[in-house]
Amino acid sequence: MPTSSPDFAIEADGISRSFDCTPALSNFTLRVSRGTIYGFLGRNGAGKTTALKIIAGLIKPDKGSVRVLGTDPFEFTTEDRQRVGYLSEKQILPTGMRVGNLFAFCAPFYPGWDQALVDRLLASFRIDRCKRIGALSQGAQRQVAFILALAQRPELLLLDEPASTLDVVARREFLDEILDLLRRGGPTVFLSSHILSDIERVADHIGILADGALKISEPLDRLKDTIKRVRFYDFNRDPGSFAVPGAFRSERSGREWLVILRLEDPAQLDAPLRSWGARYEIQDLNLEDIFVEISHH
Amino acid sequence: MFLYLNPQSGLPIYRQMFQQLRERISSGQLAADAQLPSVRELSTDLHINPLTVAKVYQMLEREGLVEFRRGQGTFVTAGRRPLSAAEQQKLIQPAVDQVVSEAIHLGIEESTLQRFIHQAYAHKLP
Repeated sequence: MPTSSPDFAIEADGISRSFDCTPALSNFTLRVSRGTIYGFLGRNGAGKTTALKIIAGLIKPDKGSVRVLGTDPFEFTTEDRQRVGYLSEKQILPTGMRVGNLFAFCAPFYPGWDQALVDRLLASFRIDRCKRIGALSQGAQRQVAFILALAQRPELLLLDEPASTLDVVARREFLDEILDLLRRGGPTVFLSSHILSDIERVADHIGILADGALKISEPLDRLKDTIKRVRFYDFNRDPGSFAVPGAFRSERSGREWLVILRLEDPAQLDAPLRSWGARYEIQDLNLEDIFVEISHH
Repeated sequence: MFLYLNPQSGLPIYRQMFQQLRERISSGQLAADAQLPSVRELSTDLHINPLTVAKVYQMLEREGLVEFRRGQGTFVTAGRRPLSAAEQQKLIQPAVDQVVSEAIHLGIEESTLQRFIHQAYAHKLP
């Protein structure tokens, strides 16, 4: 079993997990450094929720090992559990309970409970603590669940599609809150989302899950700096057999090729271009473009 | 400080920030000895990750455009070291390449493009 490092909040090695005969994760390996905001992306059914549940210690992998804050989440003590905040994709809150009572009920379970934070966030999200949970909008229920996950002052915050039911303004407030926590030296945040523009704004590290394994795991800046779309044109003959090694995807249209690749330095195009006499144009890709190209591959 | 950042651009946020701050410093909008907002303030104002702001400040420092003064903050460097011709070219070349490609695409003659550049200089450095 690999030894665990204090630099990482999450370490998963060679995780496989199937449901019935369908593999959800196969040989999934992940490292999340402490102090980062890690955006975890993947298409529906790619295995994101399964991965999050394994990290949260809610389901057991068939194979592989997980360390969360240095400990196997299946051997978490109550104290260990208090260090990890988890917001599930479909949170279940007691709908008949009033907001204020729910927080009062939960507080005694957590020694690190931050009531000042609860009060501040309820006010800033404009949530009426006298209302029953069931009477709140979907978005406000989501915010309540988010505050619950934060109130215990976790070292690691696991958020599964936290903002999908929030409107644009509420999403912006939610992101600002996460950034604010980070500025105060707050938790490592591991979040999955379909809303790539949110991820693009706050995340510093990106993982893209496809076919049950991580295809990409690196800083967002590096991703945008190096994954490029290159259009090759002006070939001196029929470019049918033209190819760039290591390309994520290549597409031909007449006498042009469009290639998605990792471009560290344009000089790496010199070799494949030799003898073709072609020219090229490099295009930047945003996160959505990169996501589509990689999870399509 | 107002910066325009588009997180959904293919250009990473740190590059957008770096370009805008560099332009403000070299044009004198941010004068020598002017204090930049703290990493915390600027990341709050711009709703972005503080690590991004810290990274941009480090890049500006490496280029000699700002300096960190212990216990005080980040300031625009006074009497800063001029870049060598090679350093200048390395920094400007991508932008020149882009402008020239665009000009060729539009069928603009080299002499016409030079005239445009001349006018832009006159506008920015009256």
